[in-house]
Amino acid sequence: MKKYVSLLMAGVLAVGTLGGCSSAFEDTADTTSAAAGGSTKAVQEESGESSGGTGATDQSAPGDNMLHIPAKDEFPTVDTQKDTEFYVVPLNIYDRLVECEVVDGVAEIVPSLAETWEVSDDGLVYTFHLRKDVTFHNGEKLTADDVVYTVDRMMNPDTAARNTDVYSMIKGANARLNGEADSVEGVVALDEYTVEFTLDVPFGPFLANLATPACSVYNRKATQEAGDQFGIDPELTVGTGPFKMSDWVLNDRLTMVKNDDYFKGAPKLDGIEVIQVPDENTQKLMYENGELDIVDLSSSSSQLAYFLGNDAYKDNLVTGPEAGCYFYVFNQDMKPTDDVRVRKAISMAIDRQTILDQMYSGAGHVVNSMLPDGVLGAYDAAEIPYDPEGAKALLAEAGYGDGCELEIYQQTDNPDALAINQVIQSMLNEVGITVTIKQMDDAAYFAERKEGRLGMTRASWKADFNDPDNFLYTFFTERNAKIRSNNHKNTDVYQWLEDARAMVDEKERMALYQKIDTTVIQEDFTVLPLFQMDHIVVVQDWVKDFHVAWNGWTDVSYYTVSLEK
Amino acid sequence: MLKYIIKRILVTIPVLIGVVFLIFVMLSVVPGDPLTVMMGEKVKVDVIERLSQSMHLNDPWYVRFVWYLWDAFHGDFGTSYKLMRSVSSLIAGAFPKTLMLAVTAAALSWVIGIPAGIISAVKKNSLADHLFMGFALCGVSIPAFSVGMILQNLFNGILPVSGFASPRHLILPALVLGWNAAGTIARLTRSSLLEVLEDDYIRTARAKGLAPVPVILSHALKNSLLPVITMMAIQISSLLSGAVITETLFSIPGVGRLAVDAINSRDMPLLQGTVIFTTAVIIAGNLAADILYSVVDPRIRVEGGK
Repeated sequence: MKKYVSLLMAGVLAVGTLGGCSSAFEDTADTTSAAAGGSTKAVQEESGESSGGTGATDQSAPGDNMLHIPAKDEFPTVDTQKDTEFYVVPLNIYDRLVECEVVDGVAEIVPSLAETWEVSDDGLVYTFHLRKDVTFHNGEKLTADDVVYTVDRMMNPDTAARNTDVYSMIKGANARLNGEADSVEGVVALDEYTVEFTLDVPFGPFLANLATPACSVYNRKATQEAGDQFGIDPELTVGTGPFKMSDWVLNDRLTMVKNDDYFKGAPKLDGIEVIQVPDENTQKLMYENGELDIVDLSSSSSQLAYFLGNDAYKDNLVTGPEAGCYFYVFNQDMKPTDDVRVRKAISMAIDRQTILDQMYSGAGHVVNSMLPDGVLGAYDAAEIPYDPEGAKALLAEAGYGDGCELEIYQQTDNPDALAINQVIQSMLNEVGITVTIKQMDDAAYFAERKEGRLGMTRASWKADFNDPDNFLYTFFTERNAKIRSNNHKNTDVYQWLEDARAMVDEKERMALYQKIDTTVIQEDFTVLPLFQMDHIVVVQDWVKDFHVAWNGWTDVSYYTVSLEK
Repeated sequence: MLKYIIKRILVTIPVLIGVVFLIFVMLSVVPGDPLTVMMGEKVKVDVIERLSQSMHLNDPWYVRFVWYLWDAFHGDFGTSYKLMRSVSSLIAGAFPKTLMLAVTAAALSWVIGIPAGIISAVKKNSLADHLFMGFALCGVSIPAFSVGMILQNLFNGILPVSGFASPRHLILPALVLGWNAAGTIARLTRSSLLEVLEDDYIRTARAKGLAPVPVILSHALKNSLLPVITMMAIQISSLLSGAVITETLFSIPGVGRLAVDAINSRDMPLLQGTVIFTTAVIIAGNLAADILYSVVDPRIRVEGGK
């Protein structure tokens, strides 16, 4: 009897394994098929057998027209209303009313789903005229009602959206979010192709804001039918973009295929495969294999030196400015950075140019402002000098003539931050400041930061939308100063930030932002701006027409890219 | 026998509740909440406050614990905070991949480990013995991440180094896991076979004039494999619960990868789900080992067995 039991168990195990085998591999394509070298043909035959002709293999065959890009972390959803972090899929499957693109070297707002628009003189009413030739992936025509629905869905409390701030300046939007209204009063379809937005108060960056991925336009019918599967189920996730989502194997790969009916013309690629590769070294290996077409080195910093230092890749590097900067944040609620003289002394004790040259191969430039080049309102700010002697004098004045202790915080598993923090540690040691570097895991780091309890830390910010508001409001309003752990106390700045938002005169508005920036950085020394970096991407020989986006994001639209294999 | 199995399964229920309880307590003392870490740089306080309310994140941990148990007993293991899908569907999607990897690695370790152990024992102190035991020692002592990275660099361009798209993708990760398991099995087979070879009945068998090969294969091996079988069962259940490091290194979308992500993002429901699943698998593995044991060795009779 027992013999039969064990036989049965062995049998179950074997069947389970075989079942597991087929189900584990089905619907997935073979990445090895893109491997470089002469053995590709054999590989292709093998992979054809393994995936049992699901059709996925064909998409990934060598010489195919699919773009393969890596992702380090899995996306929770591609519904941009519910996710604040991952935009590579949304940028390729949806469109916005307007887009931000580089025109003659300058980032500008250009028409997209909206062909034209008017803004009332008081800056409160925006009227958009939609294109009439746009269809969603499900065949539905784009109408003004879809735009109304999109805004309403974001502010509907049942959606549990995370990007509600992009529409919160619209009249009645917050009432809808708080459950006090059944619709957003300020968004109305005037006719089938005209939609009108009314704001509570003027909001200078409103158009730029509408160009962010969070404002992607959805189809009412498809999105309602999909329910909570919108953004998760590839079949049900419908947009207007150049690519359509076709398959998603969680923690493995997400596939998009081209939309032949795209209103700006079909893309040149047959599709895009976003492959999950959490490990940066593995990304490098796969690039060298030809399994990846594009690797963003700015988000894969441990591999940057390898590619920059290797002459073989000289012609494969695509660079562009990042509309963003790196900086150190000082916490004004913690000793010794509660004293402006100490903050100034630290700023003067750090030799930023040397750090940039030695650690980052000089790929960028030192900045003295939170408004980087390429962003509206950028200006020539006065230089914060490197002056260790001056720093010592300031420290003595502040009562720290005998030295003081300082804690720098960072996330664990961030070798890049650790390296620069160690350099800062030794530079500050020269002026008598003893630095301890404290490492915390992501969850603890962000939790402490939100409560305003994080000490000096390195941070960075890249433009979401092209406006100084995106940089200054994000860090220096009263509430944001706390959750960004700088706790700066300048009430004038709080007020100016609100005033600037409501200004209609563009020139005056920019002047005020420059005043805010100068006050925060040159007078209050709330943060120490470090560098504006070049964004560096390595692409294969056969990848054509790839450009770094205006803001230097890793997540970009691949609409214009083509492959010549 | 059946009674015994049912009893063993019933005993697992308090174990599972205890495990869930421990995790609730542990995660309530570590800093960080899922929404804050998920929003990262884009932190928005009002959104976090509003969603924390609707996700009951502000409730005390014991309230959430009771609700969790209530839902779990009704078969609802919740929705992952991070991946926004039901925990059961996530685990069901990830397990086949972990199963494939575990079974391949285990098979590899048996095919290599047992013969290597036998040869080493029979040819004790020979060159082959030293060679096999050297390899076994390396397999047991070099951590998976370094073996993995070395293999990735060595075989880059020859074998796929990342992902889970075809059986070829399994070779390197299975080697990493299999080498480690094979090392343990080879060492155990060798030592336990050596012990048995000293026994009187083996001497008797040899004295009878039996050829060396049948003596080893049919007399000695049968008795020396008992501890090896136990080890195999333990190994397979730990492989089935997800090889965390190997799965991350090779980007295998298995249960281990889910668990790591869950911890990093404070994704309570997903972490609970993977831990419950892992516990259940290990308990099942141990149970299977016990049953197998009694099948192999008639001297061992479990309570209530015939």
